Amino acid sequence: MRPFRKMAYPYVVWVALMIVAPMLLTTIYAFTTRGNDVKTINFTFANFARFFSDPIFLDVLRRSLWVALITTALCVLLGYPAAYIIARANPRRKILLVLLVTAPTWINMLVRTYAWMGILQDNGLINTFLALFGLQPLKLLHTDFAVILGMVYNFIPFMILQIYTSLTKMDPSYLEAANDLGADKVMAFLKVTLPLSVPGIISGITLVFLPAVSSFFIPKLLGGGQYVLIGNVIENQFLTSGNWNFGSALSLIMMVIIMLSMYITRKLDRDESREDGGRRL
Amino acid sequence: MLLTACGEADRTDKKFSGETLKLFNWGEYMGEDLISNFEEQTGARVIVELFDSNEMLYTKLQAGDSYDVLVPSDYMIERLMSDGMLQPLNKSLIPNIDNLASLLRNLDYDPSNDFSVPYFWGNVGIVYNTQNVDKAELESKGFEILRDTRYAGKVYIYDSERDAFMIAFKALGYSMNTENEDEIQQAYEWLRTLNDTMDPAYVTDEVIDAMMGGAKDLAVVYSGDATVILDENPDMDYFVPAEGTNIWSDAMVIPANAENVPLAHEFINYVLTYDASYDNSLTVGYASSNKDVLEDMSGEGGLYENNAAYLPRTGYAMDEIFHDNTALRTRLSDLWLKVKAEK
Repeated sequence: MRPFRKMAYPYVVWVALMIVAPMLLTTIYAFTTRGNDVKTINFTFANFARFFSDPIFLDVLRRSLWVALITTALCVLLGYPAAYIIARANPRRKILLVLLVTAPTWINMLVRTYAWMGILQDNGLINTFLALFGLQPLKLLHTDFAVILGMVYNFIPFMILQIYTSLTKMDPSYLEAANDLGADKVMAFLKVTLPLSVPGIISGITLVFLPAVSSFFIPKLLGGGQYVLIGNVIENQFLTSGNWNFGSALSLIMMVIIMLSMYITRKLDRDESREDGGRRL
Repeated sequence: MLLTACGEADRTDKKFSGETLKLFNWGEYMGEDLISNFEEQTGARVIVELFDSNEMLYTKLQAGDSYDVLVPSDYMIERLMSDGMLQPLNKSLIPNIDNLASLLRNLDYDPSNDFSVPYFWGNVGIVYNTQNVDKAELESKGFEILRDTRYAGKVYIYDSERDAFMIAFKALGYSMNTENEDEIQQAYEWLRTLNDTMDPAYVTDEVIDAMMGGAKDLAVVYSGDATVILDENPDMDYFVPAEGTNIWSDAMVIPANAENVPLAHEFINYVLTYDASYDNSLTVGYASSNKDVLEDMSGEGGLYENNAAYLPRTGYAMDEIFHDNTALRTRLSDLWLKVKAEK
């Protein structure tokens, strides 16, 4: 293995430059006060105090977590059956279905979100269609529905692919064994397939929850700007207010929350598999 | 210049062959052939980068990015000047500066154009659907119509703290450069009521497409964007309230750390030519800084003769220019976030 060790160096340099350095800068900004003069760095907790003392920021944070949670839950509920169907399809159709799931992700997310705006607009595609039947137009754009729809639409491929991968990795002989032992289809699914696909669900949750909680242009475009989430606040602090310190503090708080939630999901995952192992004995 | 008929052969003879200009401009802000014609004429290559707010431009400059020409707005030029981030223009290299419309020569942020040359200018007003909104009603209510619940759910507000607070200040009869805390608080309450009762959508450039399609009845829009909307949708008209509005200008400047200063001057001079200015105004719809283009487009037989949005109102005492005020901007930015986020 030794000769290959050197091949990791570029990766180490990359990680240091692109991940570690920006995180360090964010941390420094978060704990210092504003000022263009680089020399005067003043250590402070004021940025964090501001976040926790103004209820509006906690409100925004709660809303962001809530939206991300609903998005993730819907992605699991809708993505699991989809992944299951794809995994059970015959090989030819399987390729086609996987292609159909991934194809939209080849198009820029922003472009796809704009397309949804056109579809949901007061005089957009859906309402034009409704009008053909003499139905009253619905207010679709700039609602909770639109934001959640946009989020689920954009992130669900990550969920489907993760679950699909874990389902295809499963050894079909387990199911045959369950069958032989007298389990019906539902039982076999609940006792064999579902537990074995939990790792796929967990990584799917990570891949959906993280971008959903920090997304800012989907709520901005589909929520009509009224839908302020933590990502929008961070963007605003950097680009409009020019308050990099507070923006960094917000980013840091988000990082901590995300790391915590990842830790908890991983832990749940491990406990689950241990429990299953025990039961099988 | 000597042998223009030679085609490819004279490529290397051009004055700026092989040189590069880095331009930092607003999105959707240039004529279709502006860049290609300039490249053709000078032999230089132009790298265009786009920004969507003055604050973003400032952030990029602070981060150390270098450009040769920028096109920020009035108050941002004021700020860049006071930060020493611009360099004085060599006016002998910009003979076309004589083409500037006279009303754009004595702008108070740079009275003698030592640092900046206007590019476009305009104001902020209301685009309304004439089928659903009566002009007489607009005239009597002014900006207050944006809080008339008969139009709830039918209103677009521009999503920027400056423009949102400008409307509130004007509706309340205050200056939009006020620092009076009581007036700021009143404007905040004005916007909160709007937010809570009108179900408004806060948008930026999406408003252009949406209003072309007639998505809502009322929209706060920049004059140049309104020009394009009116041009596309005959039901739409443009109204500037008597309470006054923001009159602004965007101008070309050369940052202190520019790498190709002679080429930057060449570009500014080129934009001021009749053809380049005409191309710009034709494509984008904003009022030209070139006096002949301005007259031809808005005058008799001109392209925008009957377009209420093209030529901004001038000489109206209630119309104001924004001044750079970092403390106020931060304050308004925080309050604007509160308006939008509070539920």
